[in-house]
Amino acid sequence: MSSSSTDLRGEDFLLGSAVNALREMPGGGAVFVTSRRGEYTRFAGQRIHQPQAIDEVQLMANAFGPGGQARVATSRLQAARWAGAEAAELARTMRTSSAVPPPLAPPAQVQGVTQTWHDSSRAFDAGTRGALAGLALAAAARVGAIANGMFSSVVTELAVANTAGLRRYVRATEVSLSILVRKGAGSGFRADLGRDARALGPELMIEEALRDALATENPQEVAAGTFDVVLGPLAVGDMLSFFHALGFSGDDLRNGSGAVARRRGEMVAAPEVCVRDDANDPTGLPIPFDFEGVDKARVAMLDRGRVADAVTDLATARALGVGSSGHAHIGREQAPGPIPANLIMEPGTASEADLIRGIERGVYISRFHYTRMIDPEKSSFTGVTRDASFRIQDGKLGEALKQSRFSEEVFGVLARVDGLGRNLVSQPLMNVWNGSASAPAIRVRGFHLGFR
Amino acid sequence: MNASVPGVGTSWGWLHEESAARRLAEEAVGRALEGGASYVDARLVELEEERLYWNLNGDPDLRREHTVGIGVRVLLHGKWGFASRSMDADGFHLEAAATALVMADASPAGDAAMWSALPARSGHFATPLTTDPFTVPMREKQDLLDTLLDVARREPEIVAAVAGLNAKRQRRFFASSEGSWQVQELVECGGLYQAWAFLDGELQRRSYPNSFHGNTGGSGWEYVMGLQLETEAPRVVDEARALVRAPRCPAGTADVIIGPAMVALQIHESCGHALELDRILGDEAGFAGTSFIGPDARGRLRYGSGAVNVVADPTGMGARGSFGFDDEGQPARREMLIQEGVVRNFLSSRETAARQGLESTSAMRADGWQYMPLCFSTHVALLPGTGTLVELMERMGDGYYLDMDRSWSIDEQRLNFQFGTEVAYEVRKGVRGRLLRNASYGGITPEFWGSVEQVAGPEEFRVFGLPCGKGEPKQWGFVSHGAAPMLVRGVRMGVAG
Repeated sequence: MSSSSTDLRGEDFLLGSAVNALREMPGGGAVFVTSRRGEYTRFAGQRIHQPQAIDEVQLMANAFGPGGQARVATSRLQAARWAGAEAAELARTMRTSSAVPPPLAPPAQVQGVTQTWHDSSRAFDAGTRGALAGLALAAAARVGAIANGMFSSVVTELAVANTAGLRRYVRATEVSLSILVRKGAGSGFRADLGRDARALGPELMIEEALRDALATENPQEVAAGTFDVVLGPLAVGDMLSFFHALGFSGDDLRNGSGAVARRRGEMVAAPEVCVRDDANDPTGLPIPFDFEGVDKARVAMLDRGRVADAVTDLATARALGVGSSGHAHIGREQAPGPIPANLIMEPGTASEADLIRGIERGVYISRFHYTRMIDPEKSSFTGVTRDASFRIQDGKLGEALKQSRFSEEVFGVLARVDGLGRNLVSQPLMNVWNGSASAPAIRVRGFHLGFR
Repeated sequence: MNASVPGVGTSWGWLHEESAARRLAEEAVGRALEGGASYVDARLVELEEERLYWNLNGDPDLRREHTVGIGVRVLLHGKWGFASRSMDADGFHLEAAATALVMADASPAGDAAMWSALPARSGHFATPLTTDPFTVPMREKQDLLDTLLDVARREPEIVAAVAGLNAKRQRRFFASSEGSWQVQELVECGGLYQAWAFLDGELQRRSYPNSFHGNTGGSGWEYVMGLQLETEAPRVVDEARALVRAPRCPAGTADVIIGPAMVALQIHESCGHALELDRILGDEAGFAGTSFIGPDARGRLRYGSGAVNVVADPTGMGARGSFGFDDEGQPARREMLIQEGVVRNFLSSRETAARQGLESTSAMRADGWQYMPLCFSTHVALLPGTGTLVELMERMGDGYYLDMDRSWSIDEQRLNFQFGTEVAYEVRKGVRGRLLRNASYGGITPEFWGSVEQVAGPEEFRVFGLPCGKGEPKQWGFVSHGAAPMLVRGVRMGVAG
C-alpha cells in the first residue's frame, strides 16, 4: 500500500493553519480547512486505466469587515496567513447595508458520537482494490462481458476555527465502490459507500452486476405509458438529490419559496415515506459538524409523508429566528448556503422480491441517469432509466427492457409509494462535499415512462 | 504562440518564476524516471478564481479561491499511475512522483497502454487581453452588481435575482520525459444576470447572457464590458415578468428555430460528449457513460444533415476553450469533427487516438493540478451557414423560436435527449409572435441533427463558455461552443413543468 498517499494531515496542522489565518483577520471571522486524500482505482475493459492518488485540500478564510464579509481560499496551507489577510482586505471593500456582523458558531459544541474512523477502511489499500478490480475484470471476461468501475479509499479531515474561540476537528475514512458490467446491449450496476469497508460487500456486488448484465443482454423496447414500478435503491437515492432544489433548505424558506415555505404540513407523499437529513446516522457518510463548526442536527424533511422542515446554516437560521441545523456548505462555482448533505429515506420491511411480487404487470428500474429538475415548484423532473430494467409479469421479473426516458414529479412519485424495501444503499451526492443519499427500493403505483 | 508570457514574473501567487517552476516539474519527471517509468509528465498549475455573486435575498458572495500544486502521470511497465499533491511542503513534487509510481505498480497486469514516443513540444502561450480582470477595482465590480440588482428590486413580482461576475487566471507549466517544456498563462472572465418572477403559483426564470453559469470568455475585462449587462438587465426582468403570464407552449410536432445559447448546449451534450474518444472506447462507461458513435464512425456515420459542420478549434482566440497546449502537451489544433453531416474525427488524447491508429486531436484536459486528464470538449463550434435570424424565420413559416436552457437531460449514449427552454416564441408566417412558457423539445441525436435544414450565418454566430463535469472523482472542465440559430424540421415538442 502507498501509505503516504492517504496520510492524515493531522489535527495540529489543520487547526494550526486555520488559527494562523484567523490572526490576520482583525474584524473577526471563521476559517475551515477540508482535506481529502484519496486513492481511486478505476478500471475499464481489461485493465486498471486510471489508478489515481488525489489530493484535495482547501483552507477557506471568511473575514468580516464593517460592510460585509469576503472569503479567500487556498490549497497552500503554508499560506494560511496570506489567505486570512487577503480575506480581511477584500472584506474591507464590501459596502452592504447590513450593520449586523455575520453570526459565528459558539465554542461550546458537543462532538458527535457517530464513529467516523475505521481502520478496516485504511486496509482497503491499492493492492486490495487492484485485486478486486482484477476479480471483476476476469469474471466479466470469462462470460464475454466487460467490467468498468471504481473502488476508492479516502481519508477526509475537517477543521474549523473562528474568532469566537471555536476549534473543531474530525477525521473520517470513506470507502466507495461502483461496478458496471456490460454484455451486448445489457448491463448491470451496483454501487455503495460508507465509512467502514467491512459493511460493504464488493464480491457480491460484482456477482450481482454480472448477473444483471447477462440477464439484460437483449433488451426490448418499452412502449410509453404508465406502469406500476419498483425503483431500485439507487434510483430512489437519485430522487433524494432533488430535495435541496425542492425547497428543503433555509435559503428557500427565507425567500418564501419551495416546499417548506409554501407547503409545510401538507401531505405530499405516502404516509410510509420519511426522509431526513441525518449526519449522525452511521449510514452513508456521517460527520459531526459542518463548515461553520455547528453540530449536525437530525432534520426531518418528509415526516410520514408530510412536508416538515428545512436545513439551515448560521445566516439563514438567524434570518428565520431558529438555531442552525449544521448544514453550511460552500462549493466551487456554487453559492454558499445550507444544503442537505446526508439524506436518508427510512427503510421499510420488504425485500425487493416482496415489492416485485406485489405487481401484476409493471417495470423494475434499477437506476436513473442524468436526471434534471424541470420545475421545482411542481417538483417535475426528467431523466432516463439506465442499466438493468425488467418487465414485471405476475409478480416476477420478465424480459429485459431498453433505456427509456421518463418525466415525473418527485412528490407525485412519492405519493404513490405503497411499499418500501428494507435495505439501504448509499451513493454520493454530486457537487456536495461529503454528501451522500441513502435509500431503499420502493414500489410506486403509476410511473410514466416516455417523453411528454 | 506568443514568445513571452506577460503574467509569469508578475506578483500574484507563488509560481511567478518560470525557472523555479521548471526546476520543480523537471525534478518530478526525473524522480519518476529514476523509479522506472517509461514516460512521465508533470503539470504544475497555479490558479486563482474570483467570484462576485450578488443576490436579491442573501449575503453577497465575494470570494477568491487559489490553488497550487502538481499532478504527475507515469507509465510504468505499460500501466498508468497518477498522483497529485498540493504545494504544501518541501518535496511535494517528489512525493507526487513517487506516489504515481506506487499507484501504477499496484495495478495487476492488464492490457498495456498504447503509447509511442513523440518529439518534444515546447512553447509559451498567453491569453491575449487588454485589461486584466484582476486589476479592475473591486468598487467598479460591486457598483455594477448593485446596479443590476436594483433593476430587479424595483419589480415586486421578481422574487429572486442573481448578478454575478467571475474571473480566473492560471499558470500551467508542463514538463515531460520527452523533453517538452510548456508555459501557459490563461485568463478568463464573464458575467451572469438572472431574474425569477412568481405569480399565481407560476415561477419563471430569465437569464442573460446564458442560464448555466452565465457566459465566460477567454479574454480580459473588455469581454465583460462587451456583455452590456446594464443594458440587458431591464429586458431580462421584463421577460421574466412576461413569462409568468405567458401561455404554455403546446406539445406536438413542430418546426423550430433553436437560438444560439440552446444550440451551444445541444452541441455540448449531443455532439461534444458523444465524440469524446474515451467515452467511445468505453473508458468512461462506469460513470458518465458511452456514446452511440462507434470507433469506426470516421467517414461512415451520418450524424446530421449536410448543413451540420462541427469543428474543434482551441486555436481560436477569445473562447473559454482556447489554449496553446492540451494537458498532455499536444499543441492546439483545428480539426473538423463533422463535415456536411458525416463524422470526420473525435475529441481524442494520445492514447485513445493511438488505439484507433490516429493522431491526438489535442483534447486531453484536466481541471487544475489535482486530476488526471481526460478527453473533454475544447472549443467546439457549429459552423455558421447563411442568412439572418429573420430570414431563417421567413424560411420556416410557422413554428417556434426556442432559446436558453431551463433543464437538460440525455442518456448515457448521448442519444435520447430532452431539453427545456426558458423562452419560446410563436412564429407565424415567418414573423415572431407571442411569448410562450415551459417549452421543451426532445429527440434522438442523429435524427434531430439530420433534420437541421439551415444554420444561420456568421452575423448570428455567438460563443458560449460553460463548465462541464466528468471523471471519477468528478472534475470540472471549462469549455466553449460557438453556434448560430438553426432551423430544424419536425421536432417533438413537450411540456416542461
